[in-house]
Amino acid sequence: MFRKILVLTLLAALLAGCGPAVAATQSPSTAAPIHVQTEAPTAAPTVAPTPAGVTLTDGLGREVKLASPAQKVVSLAPSNTEILFAIGAGSQVVGRDEFSDFPAEAKLVASVGGSMGKYSTEQIVALKPDLVLAAEINSPELVKELEGLGLTVYYLKNPTTIEEMYKNLNIVGQLTGHDTTDLVNSLKARVAAVDAKIATVTTKPSVFYEIDAPAANKPYTYGPGSFGDLLIARAGGTNIGNTLKDAYPQISLEQIVASNPSIILLGDSNYGATAEAVKTRAGWSGIAAVKSGQIFPIDDNIISRPGPRLVDGLEQLAKLFHPDLFK
Amino acid sequence: MLRIENLCVDYGLRRVLHDVSLNVQSGEVVALIGPNGAGKSTLIRTVSGVVPARSGHVHTNGDDFRSLTHIQRARYLAVVPQAVSLPPAFTVWETVLLGRTPYLGFLGQPSQADEDLARRALERVHALEFAERRVGELSGGEAQRVLLARALCQSTPILLLDEPTAHLDLQYQVSLLQLVYELAHHDHLAVLVALHDLNLAAHYADRVALLVGGRIKAIGAPREVLTSELISDAYCLPVQVVEHPLSGGPLVLPG
Amino acid sequence: MKPTPFFLVLLALGLALILSLAIGSVFLSPVELWDALRGQGIQTAMQILWDIRLPRTVLVALTGAALGGSGAAYQGLFRNPLADPFLIGVASGAGLGAVIAMSVKWPYSFWGLMAIPMAAFVAALLTVFIVYFLARVGQTVPTTNLILAGVAFSSFATSLTSFLMLRSTGEVRRALGWLLGGASQSGWTAIIAMTPYLIIGLGILTLSGHALNLLQFGDDQAQQLGLNVGRAKTVMLIAASLATAAAVAFSGIIGFIGLIVPHVMRLWFGADYRRLLPLSIIGGAIALLVSDVIARVVLAPQEIPVGIVTALAGAPFFLWVLRRTKNQGFW
Repeated sequence: MFRKILVLTLLAALLAGCGPAVAATQSPSTAAPIHVQTEAPTAAPTVAPTPAGVTLTDGLGREVKLASPAQKVVSLAPSNTEILFAIGAGSQVVGRDEFSDFPAEAKLVASVGGSMGKYSTEQIVALKPDLVLAAEINSPELVKELEGLGLTVYYLKNPTTIEEMYKNLNIVGQLTGHDTTDLVNSLKARVAAVDAKIATVTTKPSVFYEIDAPAANKPYTYGPGSFGDLLIARAGGTNIGNTLKDAYPQISLEQIVASNPSIILLGDSNYGATAEAVKTRAGWSGIAAVKSGQIFPIDDNIISRPGPRLVDGLEQLAKLFHPDLFK
Repeated sequence: MLRIENLCVDYGLRRVLHDVSLNVQSGEVVALIGPNGAGKSTLIRTVSGVVPARSGHVHTNGDDFRSLTHIQRARYLAVVPQAVSLPPAFTVWETVLLGRTPYLGFLGQPSQADEDLARRALERVHALEFAERRVGELSGGEAQRVLLARALCQSTPILLLDEPTAHLDLQYQVSLLQLVYELAHHDHLAVLVALHDLNLAAHYADRVALLVGGRIKAIGAPREVLTSELISDAYCLPVQVVEHPLSGGPLVLPG
Repeated sequence: MKPTPFFLVLLALGLALILSLAIGSVFLSPVELWDALRGQGIQTAMQILWDIRLPRTVLVALTGAALGGSGAAYQGLFRNPLADPFLIGVASGAGLGAVIAMSVKWPYSFWGLMAIPMAAFVAALLTVFIVYFLARVGQTVPTTNLILAGVAFSSFATSLTSFLMLRSTGEVRRALGWLLGGASQSGWTAIIAMTPYLIIGLGILTLSGHALNLLQFGDDQAQQLGLNVGRAKTVMLIAASLATAAAVAFSGIIGFIGLIVPHVMRLWFGADYRRLLPLSIIGGAIALLVSDVIARVVLAPQEIPVGIVTALAGAPFFLWVLRRTKNQGFW
């Protein structure tokens, strides 16, 4: 009896191994037919569709082909939504994830879900997009699922530097038929301006950036490898979290006290954290930033969302760290 | 008939049955008596195959039980355990039908013949009227009779009962043992019944086996085994054995 | 076995299947649905029905069936009303395997995407294996030992999983979504991969009703009645674990179905496992289908992880059934 079951189990394992052959012959092509819309022109200049279409390799190594720039885009991440609107493709966005809240017009676009990583594929399909723009917060399984439904998906990998962010802007520009040269140039100029002033700086204030503090003596901060860490350094500050190992580590109160930061940034001000509350925390009163009152709320989205607002973040940080240089 | 030869059983490092030999012929009731912890239940569990024996043999009609499959053994030997912690949701009918397991196919689907047997078994123990009741609703006596009916369904030549009268009122003790007596003498089963009540044993058994500390101290007719020396020794309590006024058999009284 | 319970239950299954196909976050009118079913609807409706809802319905039904069936089997094997398919560690093992696999950057290919469910599946079976051998005493595997070893190992695996999740905050979102349950791998791949294990596992369990009935009287009595207790328990344990592991690997950890569905079926239709097992299999499918519809619709377009719905809806429903049948039903 037992042996029979063993044999059956092995047979089943073989059967399951035949799965890929079946699935491979069933998977449809990734490119969906594109219809060029005759819409009213948007504010930003659009590039005439080139005869050759757009062929790019996305962040998952997939080849993505569009016969002409996408006119109906579903964005699966807030950062993608911000990029789309920033490059002038806002009117081409037909669907966005639940958490896309910038710019304000984005909130008027239909939501397709997204908390806990669960999107309504039905909604996405019903919107009939010619492009779905995914980000690193979306799982490869989701990309595969949408691909399997015949949608064209582009997975935009997170940039690790500001320069890579410009590249992402260019990519999205190509995908949606917008020239991003001017935008990128203006961003570059702003960054260069900050760089120039920071180059003259002699002392860099030590900074503690609080992402979230569910437990007041073990808050989360930015570590090496995160954009927050990068921006703080570029803005002429020293991130006390830089000495830790992870990109989003927890830091203990002891370590904060030992580093004695002169500036505290509250990334969790969006969730109600205030400078007053920090001052009352037990054990925090001896920290330089608390004593001098240098505790500032900051919108974490401009520090963490990998889009053009990172430049806003850089500028705000630089102003906070070196107010004398940035009147 | 049942032949137990030189059975030795260990629980871990402790020997609980020493060289136990005992025969039970068809058509007789052998009562197994002895103080608690003597090994009565262990003996029954070992004979029925639940507890492995360190050494010794259990035969019937030439077949050594060790060479039999579970199903074959279940066709030779049925056990009536004590009616405690039975699953309350099963009906009496469902419970008794389970006795036909050794003869049912893999799926356990009873045939008409199986059902007739079950019905007759229930009639035999006078439990047919509550066949649709759930086991959880039965009294101790009723449940014990149901288990006896189940054992009867197994249609075995050998019947083992493990203290079936414990927890029963006197009238149920008597009616049950009366039935057991009939099964041996009219249906020619070989019956081994572990009992704690010495006088019931004296009354209903053809032979009595006294088990003390895992060893058989005496086997024989009730008057031969139920003597004041043997019983006082076994139970560490002075007893008097007198003649039963009605049956003439031995009557054990403390003191 | 009387035909009536099966008729009722199959009818309910049919209704649940229709419900699952008819309802989703995009509203399709009955006319649109009917057209799409016949292959004549508008493209969007056809795509939603055939490519999204149909595979999802099948996957959810299969998962629910696996959980209901193995839940009934576990309750019978362990003679414990609190037993569920995750008692001896399948869920925590699967979770650990999945989270470990999630920390690796797999290539975007068929096998790369199968890596996580496969890791979960293997880890789940490995856990049962380990727990089984931890609980063994000589030739037998006492049920108490199994439960203790299972609970201990589960705690260990769960803590390790939480620890790993804390260490890589980037993956926490993905891991949490997986752990809370829900059809993450949709499409026919998951269904094709799961089905052989479900057929084997649930098939064996359906045929094991008689053995389970015998086991309710205790190992001793079951053996005395002719059952090879050790072998029967091992086979059933393997079968139940195969079905559960396959379900968990593709649908994450969904609680309450395996615990409550067998109880409801027992209260309504009796304790005979020959009937209880197939009824629990079908009942599990119905329960999960209904829960999944709720999960998709209540906060549309947001989808709640179905594990949350089963917990929130399952417990009150069970209490309601219990009250309706008090004094009639027995464990």
